[in-house]
Amino acid sequence: MARSEGLPVPGSRAARPATEIDEVDLVPVRTYWQLVRKRFLQHRLATIALVLMLVLVTASIAVPLIGGDAWFKTSLTHGPKDPSSLAAPLGYDNLGINIFFRLMRGLQTSLTIGFFAVLIIAGLGTTVGSIAGYVGGWVDNVLMRIIDIVLSLPTFFLVLMFVAFMGQGNVFVIIFAIGLTGWTTAARLVRAEFLRLRESDFVQAAKALGASDRRIVIRHMIPSALAPVVVASTLGIADSVVTEAALSFLGFGLRTPEASLGNMLTNAQDYFYRQPLWIWYPGITLILLVLAASFLGDGLRDALDPRQRIEA
Amino acid sequence: MTRNVDAGTLLEVRDLRTHFATADGLVKAVDGVSFSIRNGATLGVVGESGCGKSVTALSVMRLIERPGRIVSGTIRFGAQNLTEVSDDEMREIRGNSISMIFQEPMTSLNPVFTCGNQIAEAVSIHGGMSGGEARKRAIEMLAQVGIPDAKRRAEEYPHQLSGGMRQRVMIAMALSTNPELLIADEPTTALDVTIQAQILELMKALRERNRMSIMLITHDLGVIAEMADDVVVMYTGKVVEQSDVNTVYEHPHHPYTRGLLASIPRLGEKRDRLEVIKGVVPNPLNLPAGCLFQRRCPSAMPICDVAPPLQEVAPGHLSRCWLTPAGGPPSVGEDPGTQVALDAAVALSVE
Repeated sequence: MARSEGLPVPGSRAARPATEIDEVDLVPVRTYWQLVRKRFLQHRLATIALVLMLVLVTASIAVPLIGGDAWFKTSLTHGPKDPSSLAAPLGYDNLGINIFFRLMRGLQTSLTIGFFAVLIIAGLGTTVGSIAGYVGGWVDNVLMRIIDIVLSLPTFFLVLMFVAFMGQGNVFVIIFAIGLTGWTTAARLVRAEFLRLRESDFVQAAKALGASDRRIVIRHMIPSALAPVVVASTLGIADSVVTEAALSFLGFGLRTPEASLGNMLTNAQDYFYRQPLWIWYPGITLILLVLAASFLGDGLRDALDPRQRIEA
Repeated sequence: MTRNVDAGTLLEVRDLRTHFATADGLVKAVDGVSFSIRNGATLGVVGESGCGKSVTALSVMRLIERPGRIVSGTIRFGAQNLTEVSDDEMREIRGNSISMIFQEPMTSLNPVFTCGNQIAEAVSIHGGMSGGEARKRAIEMLAQVGIPDAKRRAEEYPHQLSGGMRQRVMIAMALSTNPELLIADEPTTALDVTIQAQILELMKALRERNRMSIMLITHDLGVIAEMADDVVVMYTGKVVEQSDVNTVYEHPHHPYTRGLLASIPRLGEKRDRLEVIKGVVPNPLNLPAGCLFQRRCPSAMPICDVAPPLQEVAPGHLSRCWLTPAGGPPSVGEDPGTQVALDAAVALSVE
C-alpha cells in the first residue's frame, strides 16, 4: 500500500496547527438579527402576514398618491352600473366615486390611526409599567390601582364619550381616545417583566458595575421587556383599527367625505340589498388588516425573544 | 479618633452588622463581622449556605436591598468609609474600584447584548471612553481572559457560549475597569471541575498582573487552599475563625473549621464514609443562647452556654471558642486569662 506518510489528510484534525482552544464551539456564529430573521421565517403564518401587511401598507400609501382626489370626486357620468374596468377595478358608487380609490384612502386612514394610537399605547404603557415595576412600593400600588380603575370602565364607551365631547370626526381626537384607554395592558405586561427582571442576576450584575438606575432601566431592562410590548402593540393595531371602524360606523368617527373603513361600512348599509359587494370591500380589507397584524405579532414575539434557541 | 490603617490594608471591615427585618422577625444575617484585606492578597470567606458570606459581600458593595439594612459598622476602603459615602459616590466605586462577579454565569449576563457590548458597557459606565475605544478594550479584555478568537466572540450572544466561557466574560467585564478589589461570590460553584480549575488559574494570573486584591467567597475549602492567603470562617453571621491559610489548614482551632476540613475527601485515604458535621445551621430567627455551634459541636462543654468571644489563640489566629489554644477544655481557675475572659463573658450575657 503506497500511502505517503508525511502528507496530512485534508480536513483531518492533524492537518490543523495546534491552537489553544479549550472549549469546542458547536454553534456557528450568527448575529442577533440573522437569528431573528431565521426564527421569523420559520413561522409560516407570520411570513404570510408580513407580506400581506406590506402589501396593504404599500397600497394605502401608493394608491391615494396615484389617484389624487379620485377618492372623493363625484361624477355624473359614472355610476354603480358601470362595469369594472382597469381605471375602477371595484366600480363606482351611487355618487360616481371610484370605490377602489376610496377603499385605499380608507385603509390609509385606518392604518394611520392604528399606528399612532399604538405609539401612544406602547409609550405610555412602557413608561408606567417600568416605573411601577422598578420603583415598586407605594408607587407601584398607586399606578396599579389606576390601571384597575381604567380597566374596570367599559373601554369602548369611554372612547365614545371622549370623542363625542372632544370633537367628532377629528383624527387626532380619535387617536388620543384610543391611545389613552388602551395602554393598561401594555403597562401590566411591562410591569410583570420588570418585576421579574429586577430580581434577575444580570440586573444585579449591572448594579455591581455601578450603573445608574436610569441606565439599568433604559439599557438593560427595557430591551428585555420589549418582546411583550411588541406583541401587545401589533395586536393593538388590530384593536385600534376595529375601534375606529366601530366609532365611524356609529357616526362618531370620521364622516364623509373623509374615508375610513368604518364609514364606508356605514354608507354601504343603505345598499345592502342592491349592492352587497359594497359591504364586502371594506369588510374584507378590515379582516385582512386585523389578521395580518395579529399573526405578525405572533411571529415577532417568537423571533425577537433572544432567550429562544431555535436553531436550523 | 483616627484609626491607624496600616499601609498594606486595602479594605477594612469593622463590626459590620446587616440585618433583615422580615415579616417573621429580625434576621441578623451579618452580626459583628470584622476582617481586612491586604493589598494584592486574597481573602477567602468560607462557611455553609446561609452563614452570611454573600450578605457580607453585598454589604461591602452596598447592594443590600429592602428589607435588609446595614445597621452599624464601618467599611474602610482607602480613605473612604463605604457605609457613609453618598449613593452617587458609591456608584462611582462600584465596578470601578471594586468589582464583583457572581455565582451564576448562565444568568448574570444580559441576554440581549453581545459579549463585546456588555464589556464595552461596563467600561463606558465609568470611563469617558468613546464607543470605538470601549469596543477595543472589550476585545482586549476577552483575549486577556483567554477566550480564543476574541474578535469573533465579542459578536456573540451569551446563550451561544458555554458556562465556562460566560464566567470568563463576567471576569473580563469585572476587570475591564482595573479594579483594586475583586469580590468573587462563588465564582466556580456552577462550573464543572475541569473548568473550575481553569477559572481559578485565570483569576490568580490576573491578580498578579493587575495587582489587585480578591475577596473570594466559597463553601469549597479546596478552592480556598488553592487561592487564598487569609481565611475567614463564618457561621450564622459571625466570624468563628480567622487566620492565614496555612494555620487554618494545619492547626484549625474552632470545632466548626475542623468539621469542615474533616468533611473533605482526601486523595489516597480510604474511608467508608465522609465525615459530616451533625445537625443543621440554627434557625436565624430563633438563635439559641451561648455558643451558636454548641449543639453540633463534638467538644461542647458546660461553659458553651455562655457565648464565647472571638479571641486570639495564637498570634494572628482568632477563634470564637472556649477551647484552649492547645485544643483542650479551659481550666477554669488556673489560668487567670481565661478566668478574666469568662467573667467578662458572663457579665456580658447577664447584661
